[in-house]
Amino acid sequence: MKLSFAVVLIVMTGFAQAREADENYTLRKEIDFILHLIAREDFDAGLHLLDRLDKVDGALKDSVNYLSGWVMYRQKNLEMSALKLLKVREESPVFYKSRFFGAYNLAHVGRHQHAQNTLTQIPVTPDSMHEAMQRFQLSGVALLQNDFDTFHKHASLFDGRFHVMAQQEHNMLMHRQRFEATRTPSPFLAGMLSAAVPGLGRVYAGKSSEGIISFLYLAAMGLTTYDFYRGGGAGSPIFIISASVTGIFYAGNIYGSAVAARRVNQEFRHEMEQRILFDMHIPLRNAFN
Amino acid sequence: MKWNNVFCLICIFLCATPLINRTFADEKVFEKADALFASGNYFEASIEYERVLFLSESSKIRTIANLQKVQALKQLGEFGKARNDLQRSFHFRGDDSLRFEVLYQYAFCLYMDNRSDEAYATLLQLKHAFGHLPLQRYFLLRAMVLADLQQWEDLRTHLESWITMYLDDDAFLQSTFERYDNILSDFEKVLSIDKQRARLRSTFVPGLGQIYAGEVGWGLLNGFSQLASLAAFGVMAYNGYYIASFFAGLGPWQSFYFGGINHAGELAAINKNSRLDELQTAMSVFLLAVDAYLADS
Repeated sequence: MKLSFAVVLIVMTGFAQAREADENYTLRKEIDFILHLIAREDFDAGLHLLDRLDKVDGALKDSVNYLSGWVMYRQKNLEMSALKLLKVREESPVFYKSRFFGAYNLAHVGRHQHAQNTLTQIPVTPDSMHEAMQRFQLSGVALLQNDFDTFHKHASLFDGRFHVMAQQEHNMLMHRQRFEATRTPSPFLAGMLSAAVPGLGRVYAGKSSEGIISFLYLAAMGLTTYDFYRGGGAGSPIFIISASVTGIFYAGNIYGSAVAARRVNQEFRHEMEQRILFDMHIPLRNAFN
Repeated sequence: MKWNNVFCLICIFLCATPLINRTFADEKVFEKADALFASGNYFEASIEYERVLFLSESSKIRTIANLQKVQALKQLGEFGKARNDLQRSFHFRGDDSLRFEVLYQYAFCLYMDNRSDEAYATLLQLKHAFGHLPLQRYFLLRAMVLADLQQWEDLRTHLESWITMYLDDDAFLQSTFERYDNILSDFEKVLSIDKQRARLRSTFVPGLGQIYAGEVGWGLLNGFSQLASLAAFGVMAYNGYYIASFFAGLGPWQSFYFGGINHAGELAAINKNSRLDELQTAMSVFLLAVDAYLADS
């Protein structure tokens, strides 16, 4: 009786193990197929199949999250990519890559504080490449946040020891210098200058050709108005119409100059953000790909 | 994208699956993908066909799977992707009917992807390599491509060889040519519209370029605006407002004059393109009718 029970137990265990092995084999084949789709850049199909594997657990779950995050990253869906990449557990061999890319994605979509928190929480060994990468990425996020004190705290430890980021560490310091050296035009001052001399505010904001054109337009309108005043006097309807139109254009030019100054500031900010993000990205590609 | 033409073509090309010879064993491999395709789930079907391609070691099955996937992608309107996928099967050296199908589908996807030049070159290869196979679909596609390339003389010659290949009926041939010529003559005027000529007309007679481009209203408006600004210049100068006449009279006039020239050129280009689209749609409908008649007879 005991013997037959033991035999049944062994056979059942054997079946269970065989089924598990079979399931693992099927999953591995499925992952192989998904990798084939991703290699062919058939990302929609790859993601569709990865979604179906959402119920798996353990190491396979990490693979699914990593692959989903990576595909979304390739599709430039950075917000969702970060969400998936940050789900990869510490035991996974792609943990560091997932964390750093996840944080970079967050920085790219403007979630700087979240990126900073993610980077700070990455467990790193002292004097390791991961520590240097963490410091470098944190310095980039600090620059994106205009937090120059924090930037200096990290940048003072740049030592160029790791080739994958030595050049970018130097670039990051250059970006900081450029922030210091660049004069950002004040919209208020630009408006005031254009009130004094039409177009001068735009020249001050760095848009010289726009300023010259504004000046010529308003000068022509002013001369026309003067001509009507000279011929018909201050009470003539044609003078009143001409003066009103010129006044509207004059006021519009003041407002336009302030807008131009703000636009110049935004363009500079955008350009710097792109440069910083670019330099944050290169070491990640060098180190993890 | 020529959506009017696409609408017509959907009926002919997209709903028809290619006649691919499959063995019973092949059918089993494609069972799941075919069921998805039949139920209209084209995206899932395209994945399952890709899976067959990925798992199979037979080059014939891989080519069939690729062609079936292309059918699913065509249903999804992803002609560029279908074209890229088809390139994988170019190296296939199996039976001629499959190789013909690969090249034909490639030409078709090029045409639908607005690459008629390349589609024409592919069709020439198709004719050269598989001239011994039944080519009815080839004739229709080549006619469509020639219409898209606006090669009207070549299309006329092609029509003749197409009809005489399948039908010995002079009356039908003559009536077809008559209809073809009628369609072209309906659009003859628009075919001769030229952007530079429109600009030249507006340079010498304000508004005439717009009228030449078929937009009488815009022509009159531009001509009137130029006259009005010149009149304002004259009236102000006559009353002694010399500075104002220069800035408020001649200033707007030069804007209307040079703007009018550019506008005439743009209108000519836009109108020509939109009328050409109408012509190509009319021609597509005509060609499909010819194809249907030849298929019936």
